Amino acid sequence: MVKHFGIVGAGTMGSGIAQAAALSGVDVLLYDVNDTILRQALERIKYDFRKGVNRGKLTQEQMTEAFGRIHPRTKLHDLKQCEFIVEAVIEDLTVKKDLFRHLEADTKPTTILATNTSSLSVTAMASVLRVPERAVGLHFFNPAHIMKLVEVVRGERTSQETVDHTIELAKQIDKTPVVAKDTPGFIVNRVARPFYGEALRLLGENVATVEQIDRIVKEGGGFAMGPFELMDLIGIDINFAVTQSMYEQYFGEPRYRPHLIQKRMVDAGHIGRKSGQGFYKYEDKK
Amino acid sequence: MAKKTSSTTHTKGTSGHSVVYIVGDSPLVEEYANLCADKGYSVVVDWNESPKPAPKFEGTVKVSSTTARNTAVALELTIADKEHKKKNLVTLDKALAATAPILTNSVTVAATEQATWISGKHRLVGIGALPSFSQQRIVETAPTVHTPKETVEVVQRFMQSLGKEIEVVQDRVGMVLPRILCQLVNEATFVVQEDVATPQDVDTAMKLGTNYPLGPIEWGGKIGFKHVYSVLSAIENDLSEDRYRISPLLKMLAHTGEWWKKQ
Repeated sequence: MVKHFGIVGAGTMGSGIAQAAALSGVDVLLYDVNDTILRQALERIKYDFRKGVNRGKLTQEQMTEAFGRIHPRTKLHDLKQCEFIVEAVIEDLTVKKDLFRHLEADTKPTTILATNTSSLSVTAMASVLRVPERAVGLHFFNPAHIMKLVEVVRGERTSQETVDHTIELAKQIDKTPVVAKDTPGFIVNRVARPFYGEALRLLGENVATVEQIDRIVKEGGGFAMGPFELMDLIGIDINFAVTQSMYEQYFGEPRYRPHLIQKRMVDAGHIGRKSGQGFYKYEDKK
Repeated sequence: MAKKTSSTTHTKGTSGHSVVYIVGDSPLVEEYANLCADKGYSVVVDWNESPKPAPKFEGTVKVSSTTARNTAVALELTIADKEHKKKNLVTLDKALAATAPILTNSVTVAATEQATWISGKHRLVGIGALPSFSQQRIVETAPTVHTPKETVEVVQRFMQSLGKEIEVVQDRVGMVLPRILCQLVNEATFVVQEDVATPQDVDTAMKLGTNYPLGPIEWGGKIGFKHVYSVLSAIENDLSEDRYRISPLLKMLAHTGEWWKKQ
């Protein structure tokens, strides 16, 4: 059992992870170099907890208790007591490698160092450690306090013991872990590619319209959302970037090739719900 | 279904019940036979999967290889066997009254290509049918260049009588849903084959991570891996694109059944 769970980076993902962990009874040490971001994260978590209380999903007492388990920290060596640390900082390999080096210097040799990366190589990150066996991927899905799934990513040199402990930690904080080898896109981002890619091709080849494809997938296939609605929700820019990154990391594998339609929409600024227009128009937001 | 009355009026046969004649691959034939019988049609199934015995059908389904002259609507549900499909369509075209439409599964062969096999080209309309989806509300429908509006309307009313709506799409191999779904299954089998994850974890990940109603491996099992393979081979041949290349594991599954369970 992990008693002290360290989280580096208090952005959207970091605070979501902190929230989930605190609710499951683990003490969280939430670190960010930026004090303002840290305070904002705590505000966000408190706001969300209150929402839970108002909806009757959480008692006042549970909320106070959980919130009390989140300890903000602005010095990395304060995470020394943690048995498990996950980083959720910017998706930049150099930044993450640097962070891993510092964490290794500042923590116990038995501490597991995990990364929440969705697109970078866990193996490459671990390579800067003296003991790369202790590094692992722990990929949460947004919003991290709601989504049950986590991908436990086994780097080239990750030990079985590290994988086992990570699975345990995931279960401890009420998540459902699946194990993936360290390959681009892991499981979800990779297997989901054709859902968007084929839909875009069908549209490009004029087999059916955006509305038709969504309707067929939902009412003919039983999906909750159609591919175009979903791209609008995720953000066409994000979806395009993930596809492009997969395509490059797989050295031009044609199954992951992006589509011109995506690029054109990004060029036009029609990137989905957040911009008021994507494949559909959103009147309420602009 | 409320819409049954209007449609049965339109497609009423002399016997009082409209006759639907169904031929093709199992288990699609069973799914559609039971669905049509359930909605009040007199169903005749031409069971050509012998020596496999015909399954027990519910209610008014009759098994016979004689095409009823009073057939209101015929369904040709063969998924991939082109020669078989051709033979069935030619027989139906000769036996049916000129006004009776044939709804043909056009997932692996475009309806337009199928129309070249028969003289009653006007009566042919492609539909997208894969096992396990017959309870869904939408059916993809692909008219050919020969299909008049009236025939599409008959198909629409027929599908409405089954509680369904049609979505008219271009007549292309793979259509919409089969192309997306089969590529999901294909990608999932690549992941399993490369030891990136176990089949169970792939299914769990997709259901929890993307809210899919079923995992792609589960889907492959429900549709039938051999049918997934047929759809992808047809698309691969049609578009000549490397992205439709089939994973060796999927090929293995198609030929031998649930092979990965024995690993």
